[in-house]
Amino acid sequence: MDFEQMDDFERELKQALERRPAPPSLKRKLMEQRNRQRTERLRIRTVMWQRLAACLVLVSLLGGGFAWRNREEQRKGEEARQQVLTALRITNRALNQMKAQLAEHDRNTQE
Amino acid sequence: MAHDWQPDFEQLVDEHQSMVFSLAARMTGDRGLAEEIAQDVFMELDRHLGKIESPLHAIYWLRRVAMSRSADALRRRKVRGMDLWVEFEDGHGAQAEQRSSPLGSRLEGLLTTLPEAQRAALVLRYQEDLTPEEIAAALDAPLATVKSNLQRGLKLLRAKATSHLKEYLRVKEQVRGF
Repeated sequence: MDFEQMDDFERELKQALERRPAPPSLKRKLMEQRNRQRTERLRIRTVMWQRLAACLVLVSLLGGGFAWRNREEQRKGEEARQQVLTALRITNRALNQMKAQLAEHDRNTQE
Repeated sequence: MAHDWQPDFEQLVDEHQSMVFSLAARMTGDRGLAEEIAQDVFMELDRHLGKIESPLHAIYWLRRVAMSRSADALRRRKVRGMDLWVEFEDGHGAQAEQRSSPLGSRLEGLLTTLPEAQRAALVLRYQEDLTPEEIAAALDAPLATVKSNLQRGLKLLRAKATSHLKEYLRVKEQVRGF
């Protein structure tokens, strides 16, 4: 078969197989479908970003909460430490006074 | 690879809808199904628009996908047990009559009775004016197979056309005899 040369039958076939115009509704349907899909894709993307934003806010709130609780515990611990130190200082002073009084008493007794 | 050409979907639809629709219609022999296939093909093009590099690439891509989608549709119909070799619908046939000779429209009808591989090769050869090498690339088939399908398809179509023409002339003679 010679693919360059065409006989009458092939010429008739070529003529019979000319491209047909597509139905006029095809382009309209395509553009509608395309717009629908784009809107749907946009909606899905928006919802995805909204969810992501909500997750970020939630993570920030939880992180902030944990940080605040840690700081609060540290502050309370420090406060308790200061109270204990104050109590120890008062006790130390009382004991020193008592020691001085006892020493005074011992001196008086010896005299 | 950088390329300056920016594909415009609407323009591609305008330019190639008749090609995609005609390929699908001639492969399936069903105008409604062909319209569905054409829609699928163009929606897929829309999804792959970023990968299309040039107008020629767009044509090549559309031909390939249209043929592949048509083959898929025929396979699905075969699975469902529907009639494969349906004639073109009346509306389509009427348009064909207006556009081509009676032999031409008969040839188009006879084409739908050929086996799928032969029909695909003939449609790409005579509708799209492709060389056997281009057909092989479009159908993803070996060149020898395509050449063989073209030869066999043309021979079968010629035989069917001759037989139909003889029958047509015989009936015409009988009508004249009355």
